[in-house]
Amino acid sequence: MGSMDNTAKRLLQRLVRRIPSQMLKTTLDKWSRLTAAQRQSMDYTESKWALTEKLLAICEENELTVKHIAELEMIHVIENPNLGMWYVFQLMDPQDDAHSVELTQFKEQFKSHLSELIRHVSIKIKKHTDEAVWIRIAWGDTFSRPNHLKPTYVVHYLQTPYVFLTSPTSKQKPLLSQALVLSTRYQAIKDANLSGRKLTAIRDLLMKQYLQVFPTKFPSPLAERNCVVSNLHIEKEQAGSAANRHQMACEAFGDGILPQLQSAVYKLETKFRDHTNKTMTERDEPFKCVVKFASTNLLESLRHSASSGVASTPVTPLLSSVPLKGKNYFVITDNGPGPSSQMKPSQK
Amino acid sequence: MCALSEGVLSHLSLLEVQARSRKSRLQQQSRVMELKAKVEALKTQREQLKAQIQTHQVWGLMVAECDFRSLLACCNPLFFPALFYLLISSGGYDIIKTRKGKGACVSIATAYEDVFLDTFNLEIDLKPTVKINRHNIPPFIPLNNLAEQNNMQTDLRVFLDTLSQHLNAFAGRKQQLKLVKEKHKSVEVMESNVLCSLLVLLFTVPREKTAVLCTLDYTDHTRCLPTRVHLESEDKQLPDSPQWEKNCSLLMETPVHKALITMKKMGSIV
Repeated sequence: MGSMDNTAKRLLQRLVRRIPSQMLKTTLDKWSRLTAAQRQSMDYTESKWALTEKLLAICEENELTVKHIAELEMIHVIENPNLGMWYVFQLMDPQDDAHSVELTQFKEQFKSHLSELIRHVSIKIKKHTDEAVWIRIAWGDTFSRPNHLKPTYVVHYLQTPYVFLTSPTSKQKPLLSQALVLSTRYQAIKDANLSGRKLTAIRDLLMKQYLQVFPTKFPSPLAERNCVVSNLHIEKEQAGSAANRHQMACEAFGDGILPQLQSAVYKLETKFRDHTNKTMTERDEPFKCVVKFASTNLLESLRHSASSGVASTPVTPLLSSVPLKGKNYFVITDNGPGPSSQMKPSQK
Repeated sequence: MCALSEGVLSHLSLLEVQARSRKSRLQQQSRVMELKAKVEALKTQREQLKAQIQTHQVWGLMVAECDFRSLLACCNPLFFPALFYLLISSGGYDIIKTRKGKGACVSIATAYEDVFLDTFNLEIDLKPTVKINRHNIPPFIPLNNLAEQNNMQTDLRVFLDTLSQHLNAFAGRKQQLKLVKEKHKSVEVMESNVLCSLLVLLFTVPREKTAVLCTLDYTDHTRCLPTRVHLESEDKQLPDSPQWEKNCSLLMETPVHKALITMKKMGSIV
């Protein structure tokens, strides 16, 4: 029996299947586990099946194990951070020395804390060029070895309170939270109620790396863009209000290309208000419903709705809270944030 | 020559005196040159400082001229003492009122070595309490802590001053790192972070090709200069050598991209 066990084989098969052939070459080059000759012997025009067989043979020859294949997977995920679902957690109450945590210290601390909490765990940490610290965790438990087929990825920028995670189970989440809190020198961690398929988008939203619009005294380029209309008074007035709507929409959501979120979910637990429907209005328990806005680029859709007049301006806080608070999951109760009556499904 | 009549020896001694005085005159001349050069250097420095003061004043004036009147016209300073005070004494912010005086929008421009860098904005509610409503300040700047520590409620200006210090220092460190990466290809950046508060550089000593690991800690986040410089090398003696002790203090006192130029000139690093 070779170095590659069943898990290693399955992991490799899955990876080759997932990575497009034209991308496979660059990914394998970055892996640096194959010799130059072995890399040259690869023919990327061959079928995925043939490529897998060939790679399996090379891995056996080089005596690579599941840990090495996990490295290859990590390279692929880091290069393609916009696949799969990412959830954001927020660290709270930093200790005095939180701002001085550096990479080596963080790596050591995280590994030792998590290994203390769970016996069988395989952790790989890698720093990416954009200062992001990437962590791959393969979980096991008291009796079983780490399962490399269902890893959790964690992305953290040191000195920031945000942690990005892919699908940890409810059993793993507390362990991970504890290790993160201890190694970043914070005191608590909470769900930040933000998720999306694109890591870069949710990161840009929280790191404020998109063009936000603020009121300034200088003539706004936004307004100017809309000035070239005919001389008719009515059109002028309409253009004025259109420019105004556009300005308000941009102040609420941002200008230019916006971080690509796919949804915003509002969970309503409020009293039913409709004087035409007495049965519902007179009920004691709150009316529960979920409103979900979905789009390929939610923020751009919302901005368009507001600027074109489909949604009313000034933009309701419920919608502008998405970029403002960096959240896309809200629970609204009668005493909760913002008057619930403002939230009407007909707004979009 | 009168000296001849008094004999050869006295003539020689006269010549000696003349030669000496010429030498000292030469020395004086070179000293004068040196001092003149220093005067020139100081003059340029004065000009630079003047220019800096001017940019700050222009910035301040812009605030005073453009907003002061409009704000005075629209809001009663009695109701907005904090904002009123801010306008009179503000140094480098651009402030406009929003929502009919219920809020204000502050722009803080950052600059490093006379280059304007990012501008950060804050939308502040002034009524009923002073509260930051919206901003584009990155999460690694401890905005809420600064607001609390500096008592934003009562003294908005102190808060904005401190915030501006943090933002300018961050922009300066970021710019230094950018310049190191651009202009010093032979120096490898081993480690850095988003706040640019830690920098680990790998130097190479020219002839021996010894590797030197240099850690710069910027613990004071309101400054562009490190608070600690630490050297590590395979050559254990190297960090304690007079040359590298000098390099160390150079790195403490000079922005890193400039210190590297000097270190290269001195032949300390490749």
